[in-house]
Amino acid sequence: MRWKQFFTPAKSIHATEAKKLMSEKSQDEFNLIDVRQPGEYEARHIPGAKLIPIAELDKRLDEIDPSKPTLLY
Amino acid sequence: MLAGKGFDNIINVAGGIKAWDGQVAVGAEDLGLELFTGKESIDETLVVAYSLEAGLRDFYLSMIEKGTAEDIRHLFEKLSEIELKHQDRIFDMYLQVTGKKTAREAFDKEIVIQAVEGGLTTDEYINMFQPDWNSAVDIISLAMSIEAQALDLYTRAADRSTEPHSVDALKQIAAEERMHLEQLGKLMDAQA
Repeated sequence: MRWKQFFTPAKSIHATEAKKLMSEKSQDEFNLIDVRQPGEYEARHIPGAKLIPIAELDKRLDEIDPSKPTLLY
Repeated sequence: MLAGKGFDNIINVAGGIKAWDGQVAVGAEDLGLELFTGKESIDETLVVAYSLEAGLRDFYLSMIEKGTAEDIRHLFEKLSEIELKHQDRIFDMYLQVTGKKTAREAFDKEIVIQAVEGGLTTDEYINMFQPDWNSAVDIISLAMSIEAQALDLYTRAADRSTEPHSVDALKQIAAEERMHLEQLGKLMDAQA
């Protein structure tokens, strides 16, 4: 059994705090993933976010660097 | 979904885009990427980036003549100076990474792209934001939107590029766009 998956809960921070966190780091130090649908992304998204719709996330994990903090919205 | 798959630091942005009060970018994933196909060499990548900055500077310069109030003309001058510094920075990067001794005038002649930063035309930006040209806040807000769009474009271009030097350069330019956004934010604060 993969115990780790039960002990690595995702943190949740408010968008304001996320903005501050991103401003304190360089663009290359975190992943910012937009997990919404392409139409929602097209209408407006956080600059620099990578679009990976939630339904595709499981198959596209190799596109994200797991060693960096990963912000999802 | 990510837990247990090597992702130890997962952060959910509560409230998502609705709670986000910063700048936003618009458009599909491939918007503006006709400029960056992903196959450009570092030289070509920097020429495109330089051209985009030049396009925006030309736009601001053209607006100086149209500005009626002195403070608005001065603001456009300031914005055009900021873009000139961006161009200087990209030109320096070009000289460093290519080892060439190209003269600035010769480099300027390579500009062929009819777009501004972010990959949209000025008309497209104006239609999108419809700024009041007599309002400094509206004008800075437009400039910030363009920088946000540019940050987004350079990030997507870096993601698409298969040329390692171009990836590094595009990431660096994206990081600089983030700093430009902060500078403009301070300029906005100074209006208050």
